Amino acid sequence: MVLLALLLIPLAAILFILAGAPAQRTAGFATALNLVITLGLLLTYPATPGTFAFTLDCPWTTLPGLPPIHFHLGVDGISLPLVFLTAIVSFAAIAISPATIRRSSEYYCYLLFMSLGAMGAFVSLDLFFFYIFHEFALIPTFLLIGIWGTQNRQFAAFQVTLYLMAGSLILLAGLVALVMALPVADRTFDIPTLQNYFTQHPLAVSQQTIIFPFLLVGFGILVGLVPFHSWAPPGYASAPPAAAMLHAGILKKFAIYGLIRVAVPMLHDGFEAWRPLLLTLLVGNFVYAGFVTLAQKELPTMIGFSSIMHMGYLFLGIACWNIIGVTGVVILMVAHGLSAALLFGLSGEVTHRSGENRFTELGGLAQRAPLLAVLFSFASMASMGVPGLANFAGELMVFFASYSSVFSKFDIGVSIGVGFAAIAIYGTVITAIYQLRAIKTVFYGPMPARYEPRAAVGEAVAAPGMTDVSSLVEYVPYVLLIVASLVIGFMPFLLIHIVEPSVSLLPYMPLQK
Amino acid sequence: MISSTLLPYLAPELMLIVGAMILLLLEAFLSLSARQVAAAALGSVAIVAVFTLCFDSSPILFWGNTCKWDGSAKFFHLFFLAVAALVIWMGDEVQEPVPHGGGEFVILPLFTTAGLMLLASANDFMLLFIALELVTISFYILVAYQRRSIIALEAGVKYLILGGLSSAFLVMGVAYIFGLSGSTRFDLIAQYLHTQSLLSSGVGFGLLLVLTGIGFKIAMVPFHSWAPDVYEGAPNSITAFLSVGSKAGGLIILLRVVLGLFDFPSSASIWIPFLTIGAILSLLLGNLAAIPQRNLKRLLGYSSIGHSGFILVAVIGASASLTGSYMPGADTTTGQLAVSVYLVTYLLATFTAFIVLAILERRLPGLEIHHLAGLSQRSPLLAAAFALSLISLAGVPPLSGFIAKWYVVLVAWNQGLYTLLGFVIFAAVAALYYYLGPIKAMYWSEPLDETPIRLNRVTSAVLILMIALLIGTGFFIQSISGLVNGSTLAQNGSISAPVAVALVQH
Repeated sequence: MVLLALLLIPLAAILFILAGAPAQRTAGFATALNLVITLGLLLTYPATPGTFAFTLDCPWTTLPGLPPIHFHLGVDGISLPLVFLTAIVSFAAIAISPATIRRSSEYYCYLLFMSLGAMGAFVSLDLFFFYIFHEFALIPTFLLIGIWGTQNRQFAAFQVTLYLMAGSLILLAGLVALVMALPVADRTFDIPTLQNYFTQHPLAVSQQTIIFPFLLVGFGILVGLVPFHSWAPPGYASAPPAAAMLHAGILKKFAIYGLIRVAVPMLHDGFEAWRPLLLTLLVGNFVYAGFVTLAQKELPTMIGFSSIMHMGYLFLGIACWNIIGVTGVVILMVAHGLSAALLFGLSGEVTHRSGENRFTELGGLAQRAPLLAVLFSFASMASMGVPGLANFAGELMVFFASYSSVFSKFDIGVSIGVGFAAIAIYGTVITAIYQLRAIKTVFYGPMPARYEPRAAVGEAVAAPGMTDVSSLVEYVPYVLLIVASLVIGFMPFLLIHIVEPSVSLLPYMPLQK
Repeated sequence: MISSTLLPYLAPELMLIVGAMILLLLEAFLSLSARQVAAAALGSVAIVAVFTLCFDSSPILFWGNTCKWDGSAKFFHLFFLAVAALVIWMGDEVQEPVPHGGGEFVILPLFTTAGLMLLASANDFMLLFIALELVTISFYILVAYQRRSIIALEAGVKYLILGGLSSAFLVMGVAYIFGLSGSTRFDLIAQYLHTQSLLSSGVGFGLLLVLTGIGFKIAMVPFHSWAPDVYEGAPNSITAFLSVGSKAGGLIILLRVVLGLFDFPSSASIWIPFLTIGAILSLLLGNLAAIPQRNLKRLLGYSSIGHSGFILVAVIGASASLTGSYMPGADTTTGQLAVSVYLVTYLLATFTAFIVLAILERRLPGLEIHHLAGLSQRSPLLAAAFALSLISLAGVPPLSGFIAKWYVVLVAWNQGLYTLLGFVIFAAVAALYYYLGPIKAMYWSEPLDETPIRLNRVTSAVLILMIALLIGTGFFIQSISGLVNGSTLAQNGSISAPVAVALVQH
């Protein structure tokens, strides 16, 4: 029931806003309430292996010709951290949005819809609802980019929406194929039942090999697996910061979560067959997207590409499919969600306050906006995987996982897992280069004169110049995200205790860690 | 032969026709206002609907075995009555009042509806043809009703010529089938076909001609060319009627003919490739040609061609003879249900869209996409209704159109129609592109004209109800399963002939 509340609270907030309640306060209150509830869930999560907690299961409908659909909610150690991530990023995204934004009630409703969609997808244990909750966010994203976006918003909005729709439809075909591959009497949409069923009666390898690529490409498009990533950077660069925070921080994780929960456990032979392709493509995420990120000349686009690059770690952890790897992926999903939300939010502050997004025109902003510089540096360090912040814990686990995985061996007796670990570690070096360079060019060095405040002299009007995040309301959301990242970074065991038991129960998980 | 006790099954049609005739006379001799006529017409539709709901859907043959009542007949009866109610209400309340003879404009749809309902229960090609003519002839008048408008006249002439041509194809095909099988009754033709191990080329040719005729009715490519022009020229309520009613009418014939009669391997090798090519072309041409359209009614016209493609995939998927071997146990019901589900969701979305267009066209005829600019600020309700109907047509969850697309994907995968599935996915993405265009105009673009649009209470209430249904049938899918449950053709074997004969002789 408590999970149902997580869905009903944003819905109620939307209705209140439509009825005329003050938009930002209502939305902020609803997301804050959700955050408190999720913290409660994290504290009370029982961690008895093998079961989903806080479940709610009521029959929804039986459509003729289809397996019964249940409204089945529940969380385990894999989805609970993502539920927490959704709550905290949604709260931050709404809190950093300007209260005076034009057409504010619409704006906050769309943000709440995105948040509701992500939350619904993570708590659903029925494939039908898992899929349609994610799709809730499609049209709100289109409108958010289109109405409140910047730069080339029209093109970006269409590109994002059509690309994601194509990905979703390929995914839908894959999910339909998966369920329909069962004998009629055993067909169900219930994810735990399906997992049990497929563990006991795996599909024929040939069938799995056909169905798995649908899921891989469908999820791959949604998460930005190279070469299906081209929607993301321009989309995130044009989106209003809050929408980019929600999409890059949370919604994209839906696809990784889907791979862990649905694709790999249920079609393990298909996964084995297609693993070489996945491994090849994820190198593209590290190397290709990494170098493209280095070449960016604008702050928001750079961050958009960097969020694509970081998906490489997640794919690598999944490709390893061992306990430490998948646990690392879950930790890293939370960590990346926090750091991506921070970076998108802060780059929005920089571009909004300075009126500029090109590196060549920015510089020395720390003189006028020291607090912003500190926050941005923290966010960059999180993204680089500096120890003490959450990303480090997750990335380290993925490196270990890759190092200990024997995908296949070279003649000289070295596992290629070692090679992938090396590429992944190299990825952190690339991240450090572009993030540090971004800090340097944006916040240090000489500051262009136009960022100095100016009094009205003669014809010239007064201009405040570059401003800092000054009031409490402005920086608390960022501090909250940084604190969350620090807590997980210093005490990763808090999350690992929750995540690991559930990961170790996933089908086909090798026993040794 | 005519059994009085079984006439109740024909009563809905008779009641509508008699009601319409009385209304015509009343309108001629007592000077009734258009509003009173519309109220009376709506009343008769309501009475007939209640009456129809009382029938159960157990299959039965009646009226000298020329009619058949089954789940699909009942479903389509109610479907057409819902369409009629919306058309009459739109014609009276929403759109520009017709300049002369407002009464006929709301009475004629009653005749059309009676024809469509008769189509749904016809078990005989003669009766089917008569019903179809009742439908098309009343449509000829309705399409060209605004006779001073050049576009309306063009639409009327095009629809008249192509409608006549398609009827000719259909009749020619029926003649071939009758000539070789010796009967026009479906059950007797089926008996004849079962005795033949191979389909004679004459019957095959007749089947192709019949399919061509049906292709015109449902605007299947390459028989689609009338649709955009006629959609553009006809009054909005009639465009919606054509788009939903005429398409559903064509589909019920298609279901009765190809699934009820010709669903075995030798003839399936004729109609399945024919419909497959038609479906692929409709999916591609309908959805791609809609992209450059600027006139909203033409855009919806092309999109309606595309939707025929989606529905045809479900029709093909309902065939029992897909795998090449005749399997009596094959899953044919899911495909038929997919057609019903698709039509229900299509009805909701199309009528919502056309109600909005009708309201807007009262202010600005010849509405183009850029005229919608800033509609979300001028009237949030209109913008939301139009946006949701387009998103539903595009098949995005949680709106009802998604359930329809989902069913089509499911049927296509289940029946191994992988090529068609690829085209379905491509077409769905292309469709989303052009459906987003008007949404963009309504929500992003700056309004050209800031005056708010006021709606009266009834219109607002209907629009809110339609929005609720669009969301309700998509998310609370129990509701849609309630609507379409049992809406399948009765298998020929399930009505034992002696019982049927006994019932008729009773």
